[in-house]
Amino acid sequence: MQLNPSEISDLIKKKIENFDAPPEAHTEGSVVSVTDGIVRVHGLSEAMQGEMLEFPGGSYGMALNLERDSVGAVMLGGYQHISEGDTVKCTGRILEVPVGDALLGRVVDALGNPIDGKGPVDTNLTSPIEKIAPGVIARQSVDQPVQIGLKSIDSMIPVGRGQRELIIGDRQTGKTAIAVDAIINQKGTGIKCIYVAIGQKRSSIANVVRKLEEHGAMAHTIVVVASASESAALQFIAPYTGCSMGEYFRDKGEDALIIYDDLTKQAWAYRQISLLLRRPPGREAYPGDVFYIHSRLLERAARINAAEVEKLTNGQVKGKTGSLTALPIIETQGGDVSAFVPTNVISITDGQIFLETGLFNSGIRPAVNAGLSVSRVGGAAQTKIIKKLGGGIRLDLAQFRELAAFAQFASDLDESTRKQIERGQRVTELMKQNQYAPMSVAEMGVSLYAANAGFLDNLEVKAVRDFEATLLAFMKAEEADLMAKINQTGDFSDDIKNGIHGAIERFVKAGRW
Amino acid sequence: MTELATLARPYAEAAFKQAKQSSNADTWSASLSFLAQVAQSDNLIRIIDNPKVGKAKATELLLDIVQEHVHGEGKNLLKLLVANDKVKVLPEIAVIFEQLKANDEGYVNVNLTSAYALSKAEQNKYVGMLEKLLNRKINAKVSVDHALIGGVIAKAGDKVIDASVRGQLQQLAKRL
Repeated sequence: MQLNPSEISDLIKKKIENFDAPPEAHTEGSVVSVTDGIVRVHGLSEAMQGEMLEFPGGSYGMALNLERDSVGAVMLGGYQHISEGDTVKCTGRILEVPVGDALLGRVVDALGNPIDGKGPVDTNLTSPIEKIAPGVIARQSVDQPVQIGLKSIDSMIPVGRGQRELIIGDRQTGKTAIAVDAIINQKGTGIKCIYVAIGQKRSSIANVVRKLEEHGAMAHTIVVVASASESAALQFIAPYTGCSMGEYFRDKGEDALIIYDDLTKQAWAYRQISLLLRRPPGREAYPGDVFYIHSRLLERAARINAAEVEKLTNGQVKGKTGSLTALPIIETQGGDVSAFVPTNVISITDGQIFLETGLFNSGIRPAVNAGLSVSRVGGAAQTKIIKKLGGGIRLDLAQFRELAAFAQFASDLDESTRKQIERGQRVTELMKQNQYAPMSVAEMGVSLYAANAGFLDNLEVKAVRDFEATLLAFMKAEEADLMAKINQTGDFSDDIKNGIHGAIERFVKAGRW
Repeated sequence: MTELATLARPYAEAAFKQAKQSSNADTWSASLSFLAQVAQSDNLIRIIDNPKVGKAKATELLLDIVQEHVHGEGKNLLKLLVANDKVKVLPEIAVIFEQLKANDEGYVNVNLTSAYALSKAEQNKYVGMLEKLLNRKINAKVSVDHALIGGVIAKAGDKVIDASVRGQLQQLAKRL
């Protein structure tokens, strides 16, 4: 149903009648020079650090360098229409972006403007992009799990709600794949997801969005995009924009997961801006505060206690803690994790997931190096069943790594060594998982139990994954109650243990695979 | 590249402190505005910049030009500027000196631009409002600009108060 022309002009007339604009007072300056997106403005004596400046033509810039008689600002967006002598106005607002539930399911740019063609975002709330992280008293320790849905991660490198877990690896090792699987697995858990794409190709981002839509994951996801062709300023602020949107959920007593893909490109963008602003370059030409840009971003990912949530919501939400979990991604060059930015971010996060090209190429995908990966939150963030069973897996893999060199001489070794090698090979095979197929807690539990209890020892290594797939189909069809119970409680009582054991025995005896 | 204003500031502040000490701020004002005019002449700048003309000769030349128009302390400032190669900064020094003087004497220079010529009564009304707003005496310079369509714009240094119809239309356009 369309509005007829008179109705439209009536609406506008009403808006004009009710329009009340008091005379506005602002500070003005004039452009002295425009170079590569950096604008020097003379005047503006009352500009604040990080304030939004309004340029002619409706473009905005951010004041970054406050000098005695001039302000160095970086343009957010195109700058071709700015010329010397143009008037610049202070807006009096530190850079802020729209936040709220209305952003879920949308794809927005680094300033919060929608770019998915689905109309304007229906929210009135805004939040500054730079906020101070919650204080020590406001926090609560991490003890609830975030199920990534990948066996190798959830069993050995568990992630908790409010933790920062770094995903680090070379190019094309599956970093984004882990992130996307994590988002898909949050369907129905109540965790809202935010995927921040920094400096990536638009085609890759379009692929990710399409995959999320296919698997029904867009409904609980916000995608923030600062692609490679956008200005360095937008690539720099995009992670902070995403973080502000995530903090909205955290401060409301809900849980959110944010993925920064990837922070290396944000560091490059910041380096570009700093060099153009003539700030002195340091190691690898990064400015002196490249650690600070990441630490202040990642410190905002935290779990806050119920008292703090109550305070932030003015008493509306009681008894619930809020959390923001961060999965930053860093791309290393040539596997060098001791370079400047990777070591910085490793020291900030609560653990890392190492992905190796060698493992990826030999078919182990996800290419997680279980030996070097660690989660400093550990078992506190695991469901009981995965915790009990994951320990055995970790041990098997660790022992296998010790003996990996002897695997060629399998026939010449003593019985126990050979058994360990064989068990390790089967567990490694079990840890492989298809993309876009995250597993629930129950499925993982059954899989890991089968490995721990020795049901895989009699199989050929190649047959392990088929066995697992068929077993899980069997459990889904015939033991749906047991699976639902495990998913609900996450317990590993004797009841459940016997239930699983019995079911697998029946499966094997019936030769069902 | 440091701004001319930043280069000029220490000189202007020193001159102002000296003016307060000797209580001859108005004489300084007159000297500085004359010096600013002199320093803007292209021919003069070319001569001073010429490496063949040494600093001694340049000082002599300048002192000869200014003669009685600049008082004794002003001449000392001129010699200092020639010695430091900062003669070009004189116009900025004059501007900052005026600002410091205005601040000290408690008044502000305001450019009041209106769409149509204001009557004396209207002018005084605006000046009164601005004085209450800025909490200082106003030295108003009035001008007319038809492009404003209606209302006034008051500019005091960096601050701008936009009460014109053109400004309101721009805000309306943004809201719609």
